[in-house]
Amino acid sequence: MSFAHALPVPTPWSAPYWEASRKKRFVLQCCNACDRLIMYPKRFCPFCLSEDLGWRDSAGTGEIYSITVQRAGAPTGFSEHLPYVLIIVRLDEGVQLMSRLIGPDAETARCGDRVKVDFQDVAGADVTLPVFRLDGAKTPANGSRST
Amino acid sequence: MSTHRRSASAAVVGIGEVPSGRFSDRSEIEAAVIAAREAILDAGLSPRDIDVVMPTGALASRHFNVDLVFSRLCEELGMLRSAKMNVQVMAGGGSSSSMLAVAEALVSTGAARTVLCLHSDKVGSLPRQAGIDLFATTGVSEEWEAPYGHNMNAVGALVSQRYMYETGTTEEELAAVCVSLRKWAALNPHAMFRQPLTVEEVLASKMIADPLRAKHCNVLADGASAYIVASAQDAQKMTKTPVFVRGHSSLVTHYTLSQDTDLAKLGFPEAAHAAYAEAGLRPQDIQLAQIYDSYPVFALIAMDALGVCGGERAGAFVAAGHTSPGGRMPMTTNGGMLSQGHTGAGGGIAVLVEAFRQLMGKAGERQVANAVNAVETASGGTWMDSHVTILSKEPG
Ligand SMILES: [Zn+2]
Repeated sequence: MSFAHALPVPTPWSAPYWEASRKKRFVLQCCNACDRLIMYPKRFCPFCLSEDLGWRDSAGTGEIYSITVQRAGAPTGFSEHLPYVLIIVRLDEGVQLMSRLIGPDAETARCGDRVKVDFQDVAGADVTLPVFRLDGAKTPANGSRST
Repeated sequence: MSTHRRSASAAVVGIGEVPSGRFSDRSEIEAAVIAAREAILDAGLSPRDIDVVMPTGALASRHFNVDLVFSRLCEELGMLRSAKMNVQVMAGGGSSSSMLAVAEALVSTGAARTVLCLHSDKVGSLPRQAGIDLFATTGVSEEWEAPYGHNMNAVGALVSQRYMYETGTTEEELAAVCVSLRKWAALNPHAMFRQPLTVEEVLASKMIADPLRAKHCNVLADGASAYIVASAQDAQKMTKTPVFVRGHSSLVTHYTLSQDTDLAKLGFPEAAHAAYAEAGLRPQDIQLAQIYDSYPVFALIAMDALGVCGGERAGAFVAAGHTSPGGRMPMTTNGGMLSQGHTGAGGGIAVLVEAFRQLMGKAGERQVANAVNAVETASGGTWMDSHVTILSKEPG
């Protein structure tokens, strides 16, 4: 599979994220002044406006905050990938990001299921996207509803 | 936007609207001046009584949007050398409430006497794929979301899944929102879709992005609508049916959808609390809910936060028919974006104009009897902000 459309164009402050991804490392931007994680990468820390920012390796594990299987109506360039699974991941470090869920059982995954980062090269481009796979035992069918 | 109770400082004195749908022969400017003229006449004013022209943004044509920014409406409507200012206020789907808040501030300080708020766009005439692509780039980050194939139906789907997971709301209840709106649209000659719709038909339509099926999703439409805001004092001299702005509050909760930490509530609980406090009204004082829909889940999230479902979960409340014609809490009586049509930034303006129309007693066949206080909601982009506005026939 390739995602040869809508390639990310890194900014000077997000370039390390995409460089790490190309090397199959998942990193998070952090603030050296207030010690908080920043998602998505920013020019200044959104918590204290410091510009003393750095990068930290992430375990790349977390849970599905929300999920949908896109089956029709994809944007230009994505129709050939239908169906595809879009997720919002809540990482164990606390920050969230949008990604895709790939691999076995992706289409039947649910909110709350555990996931782990993986990487997919975009064919014909020097870009690697962080994606996710289900990690370990699935949440029981009726055990995940909260109120 | 204080959170302290105060009497209304602004009111709406006139409204205008054209039918929503696909009108290949009706240009953006024609629809705009039809809606504007109707609003000016409705208020009993002439064009040269308008101080400030406030168009919101048009999405389908950059050229037309530039015309809006650069005072074309003032020239077309005969306001040259009388209008003080032409200024665009654009917050996507939240433009309805945002424009009203800005206009309220202008008239209440005396900076303007009358503000003409207006929208016109032709997103319904875009080819289908162009419409999908347009809404896959409005409020969607090019760097962080677009590379994964994110798009507006996925926004509705991702919020629906989280909301259903947290509240136990069902697909049937989401469908019941569409059915309730369709019943209202059947009474609205400006609506794009008026034929009867059932829960079974919604659930039999094609799956687009789980759990949303084709008939859970809004359809893009051409449209235009307008309203005129004056100070509460002036309004009472201009018209017998002023609609007073009693309270407004809003909260921005994200730019990219993934950065919202509470997709099942968004910012509506906070906005509702502050808007009620400003109006000096409680949920039990509300007789009419004009709720920005675009997807069923957003109507339910807002209804939950507004406390107008008699203590019931919003999905169950809608499924029981309480929001349909004849129900105890009429909701989005123009049919909303799911039936009147989604005109871009104007989808919410049509909902807001319907709130004014009802409180003015001008809603014809779908007029809700004895409604004094109404609540309106709106949101822009990928539901980046949550707006709650309280409107009333009474100045407070
Ligand atoms: Zn910091």
